[in-house]
Amino acid sequence: MHKCEIEFGKMKWKNPVTVASGTFGLEYADLFDLSQLGALTTKTITPLPKEGNEPQRIVETEAGLLNSIGLQNPGLDEFIRTDLPQYRKFHTNLIVSVSASSIKEFINMIEKLNVQSGVDAYEINVSCPNVENEGIAFGTDPEVVFELTSQLRKATEKTLIIKLTPNVTLITDIAVQAERAGADGLAMINTLYGMAVEVRTKRPKLHSIIGGYSGPAIKPIALQNVYKVAQAVSIPILAMGGITNSDDALEFIIAGASAVAVGTYNFVNPLCTLEIIKGIEDYCVRNDMKYQDLIGSIQTKG
Amino acid sequence: MHFKKLPVLKIEHINKDYFVLGVRDKELTQKIKPGHFFQVKDPASRIPLLPRPFSVYKVDNDELEFLVKIIGEATMKLSHLSTGQDIQLLGPLGNGFPLVSGKKVLLASGGIGFAPMPFLEHKLKEAGNEVHFYHGGRSSNDVFCDSVENCTDDGTFGHTGFVTEYVEKYLDSTHIDIVYACGPEPMMKTLTIMCSKRDIPIYVSMERVMACGVGACCGCVIKIKENDSIVYKKVCNDGPVFYGAEVVWDA
Repeated sequence: MHKCEIEFGKMKWKNPVTVASGTFGLEYADLFDLSQLGALTTKTITPLPKEGNEPQRIVETEAGLLNSIGLQNPGLDEFIRTDLPQYRKFHTNLIVSVSASSIKEFINMIEKLNVQSGVDAYEINVSCPNVENEGIAFGTDPEVVFELTSQLRKATEKTLIIKLTPNVTLITDIAVQAERAGADGLAMINTLYGMAVEVRTKRPKLHSIIGGYSGPAIKPIALQNVYKVAQAVSIPILAMGGITNSDDALEFIIAGASAVAVGTYNFVNPLCTLEIIKGIEDYCVRNDMKYQDLIGSIQTKG
Repeated sequence: MHFKKLPVLKIEHINKDYFVLGVRDKELTQKIKPGHFFQVKDPASRIPLLPRPFSVYKVDNDELEFLVKIIGEATMKLSHLSTGQDIQLLGPLGNGFPLVSGKKVLLASGGIGFAPMPFLEHKLKEAGNEVHFYHGGRSSNDVFCDSVENCTDDGTFGHTGFVTEYVEKYLDSTHIDIVYACGPEPMMKTLTIMCSKRDIPIYVSMERVMACGVGACCGCVIKIKENDSIVYKKVCNDGPVFYGAEVVWDA
């Protein structure tokens, strides 16, 4: 059996599969041993508790899911007190996803987390479309991404992953600035802006009117973003966006991703990550190739 | 909680709107409490994407049944399954109804809110409670069993009128210790107000659009009064059963 081990920043992954932030948590520990994943990624944590947006927060549309959760989370201190000890029980990498409303707040969070054991990496969520004054505002300006990443680079030696939004004109510009400022990797893509209207009442289906769109419908969009960015940077990409099975995951890996994350599809099949790990391993065996050689192996000429 | 693909044991069409879906699994049935639900999906169908939450309707030894209302594409596709085809289940999920013993209990349901009641009624009777059961529907199409006090808006079966009218008359004539309800929110809100006036505790089973069903996504929240503030609680795993007086109705 080929083991698809990878290095992602300073982490060693036993396989290249994790979960997308906000779609999978300790709640699933009842179902299977979460240590089987290459990494665990937490829900995005903010400095203070966040109650989230007014409901209605989710709407299913054709092959996708609109959400406007608004980063509901218990805040950093409560996360460290309650959730982190639970996450430590699993023998895999832990990526803590964080968001804040200023560079100073981001640094404070990282400094608090640096001294905690069991945290392997930070996913810097500068791409959530569902909160004001934080999230996506950071992630749409290449200069801001450069400044934030530079400051966070000085604040930690742990693996630093910048999560990018597709809701920009030139995603490669932002990716290049993150790399230039010292990011160890990129996570992409966060959700796309989306909307749904109830025809009978003429009202938006989400309370916040516009939300983030995810699920199988966005896979081609995510894939071209990953492909473009992989051409422009040399740091590893953690790809996500509509992955439902190992073929979906392999598309992203061939297009240039080093690892993949499953988001919305966890809600459909909470065991799909395990099926994807096996599917990627089987593919490497069938084709007698090392996982490392599969990354970015896309054939665009001839 | 388990994630399983099981062959359909039973598909029984009650009328054009409702059907009963049954499976057999001893491991699941041993863990189910009244008010629990499962996330159910036809695994062969990619659209609609998400599973749908269904309350447990009946449990009999190793057999488990759901009463399903055909509302959209997902439930329509499930209704077309044949015995032997696989369905996908995640559960049991949720908190379930808190059970009592040796009490005078009233059950009130409306429409598809009937679904969790027969199993609850069975467990309450088993625990030595005296159970009175009122069910309301728009027409005879929404009536599932003739051994309870049925009410229909159009008078095509049982009493004519809303279930709340008949429950109110009953509460005025008989001592009741506790009420359990499941149905449309205006019905449960009215029942909660009635019970508050009479100092009767009421538990309501809420329904919301869900994604994960386990508490991971925070998509299905409702507003709940807690101490002196109002907080979001997840219908999927803080509920679906809530103490009626704590629900912020019309939120």
